[in-house]
Amino acid sequence: MLLTLDLNDPRPLHEQVTTAIRRAIVEGRVHPGDRLPPARDLAAALGVNANTVLRSLRDLRDEGLLEFRRGRGVSVLRRPDAREDLKARVRELLDEAARYGYRRDDVIQLIEELA
Amino acid sequence: MNAQATREHAYRRRFLLLLGGWTVLVSVALVVVPLVFRNRLPDPLAGHWGPSGRPDGTMSFAAFMFVVPVWLLIAMCCLGMAVRDRPLPRRATRTRLTTVLAWAAAFLLGTQALTIGANLDKGHWTQASPLSWQVIPMLAGAIAVGALGWLVGRLGPGDPPDTEPPTGPLIHVDPGKRPVWLSTVSAPWAIGLTFVAFASALSLAVATLLGWSTWGWSPVAPLALAFLVGLLLSAVSVRVDPGGLTVSYGLLRWPSRRVPLARIGRAWVDRRYPSDIGGWGYRGLPGSATIMIRGGECLVVRYTSGGELAISIDDAATGAALLNALIAHPPPSKERVS
Repeated sequence: MLLTLDLNDPRPLHEQVTTAIRRAIVEGRVHPGDRLPPARDLAAALGVNANTVLRSLRDLRDEGLLEFRRGRGVSVLRRPDAREDLKARVRELLDEAARYGYRRDDVIQLIEELA
Repeated sequence: MNAQATREHAYRRRFLLLLGGWTVLVSVALVVVPLVFRNRLPDPLAGHWGPSGRPDGTMSFAAFMFVVPVWLLIAMCCLGMAVRDRPLPRRATRTRLTTVLAWAAAFLLGTQALTIGANLDKGHWTQASPLSWQVIPMLAGAIAVGALGWLVGRLGPGDPPDTEPPTGPLIHVDPGKRPVWLSTVSAPWAIGLTFVAFASALSLAVATLLGWSTWGWSPVAPLALAFLVGLLLSAVSVRVDPGGLTVSYGLLRWPSRRVPLARIGRAWVDRRYPSDIGGWGYRGLPGSATIMIRGGECLVVRYTSGGELAISIDDAATGAALLNALIAHPPPSKERVS
C-alpha cells in the first residue's frame, strides 16, 4: 500500500493520516476487499503514534470506507463515491486556502469567479 | 521462439506422464506385493528390529499397508508442484522432484521388501529373521535410485536465460511529499504451528516442573525452538520510504533490518515458490537470500555491491516502482549514509 504524507501540511496528524489513507483508496492503490497493513506497521511507516493511526482508521470506518473485522484486521469496504471524494478534496482546498490567509467566503468567491 | 515453446510443451507432457506413470507403478507395487504374500506372513508381523538384529516390535497387516498413503501423499505433493509451474518447472525444481520421487519409492519399496522377506513363511513374528546389515544395501540402493532420478530430472530443455528483468514504471515522487510503501504478508498455517509449538512447550515444561511428565526436558527444547523460529519467520513486513528499505521479521516485527537507499541498485518483481528455493523461511546466504513466507509474487532487490535479496510480499510491483523512482531521483536526504 502506497501512502503519501504532505510534509508541509499544518493539519493535525490524524487528519493527515486519514487523508493519506483515503487518497490511497480513491486512487485505487488498495481495492475493496483488500486488507490494510496492521495499524502498528502503518504507524511505524508514517512515523506517528499507533493511536493516531487507529483514530484515522476509526474515522474512515465511520465514513463507511473501512470495515473492522475481529481477528481479520481492517479491510477496505468500498471506494468513496464522487461526492465524498470531491468533498474531501474541497476540505483540503479550504485548509490550503486558510494557510494563505483566505477564508471560506474568499474561496466561494474564487469559485464563483471561475464559473 | 515458437519451436521452443512447442518443444517445451511436448516435454512438459512427457515429464508429467513420467511422474504420473511412476506414481501409479509404485503405488501398484506397494499394494500388490504385500497382498500376494499375505497368506505366508504372520499377523501381526515383526515391524521393528532392535540393535541386536532381533525383532522387538510388531505391527498389524493394516499398519504395514500404511506406506501406501505415505507414498501417495509424497507423490501428490510432487505432482502438484510439477503441474503448477508453467510452462515447465525450472531445472532445479525438476531434479528435486524426480530425486524425491525416485528415492522415496526405492526407500519405501526396499523397507517393504525387507520386512516381507524377514517375515515370510514364519509362523510367529518372534521367529522373523534378524535384520541388521541388510539395511545398509537397502539405503545405498535407495540413494542410487535417487541419483538416477536426479539424472532423469536434468534431461529436457534448460531454463530460459536470466534476462535482466524489466524495471517497470516509476512512481512520480513529489518533492514536498513523503511517500511510503508498506506491505505485510503472513503464513496463517505457520502462525498456527507456532502457537501449537508454544502451547505444547509450555504445557510440557509445566508438567515436567510439577513432575507429571515422564518425558523430561528433552521434548521441550525442540518445541521451544520451533516456537522461536515460527515467531521470526511466519510473517514479514516490508517498508520502502525515502530512507531506503526496511524488512521487519516475524510477528513481533523484530528484528528489523534497514537497507539504506544508497546501497540499492534496482528492484523488480519475480515469481518464486518454496519448491524453487528449497522451502519456506529464510533461504540462502546473505547476498543471495530469499525470505519465503508464501509462494508467488516476490520483491527482488539488487544491492550496489552485487548481492540480491528477495522477499515474498503482496503488491511487490508498487514497492519496486517506488524504490526505482527513489533511486532515480533521490530525495534531499536528511539521513546521512555512512
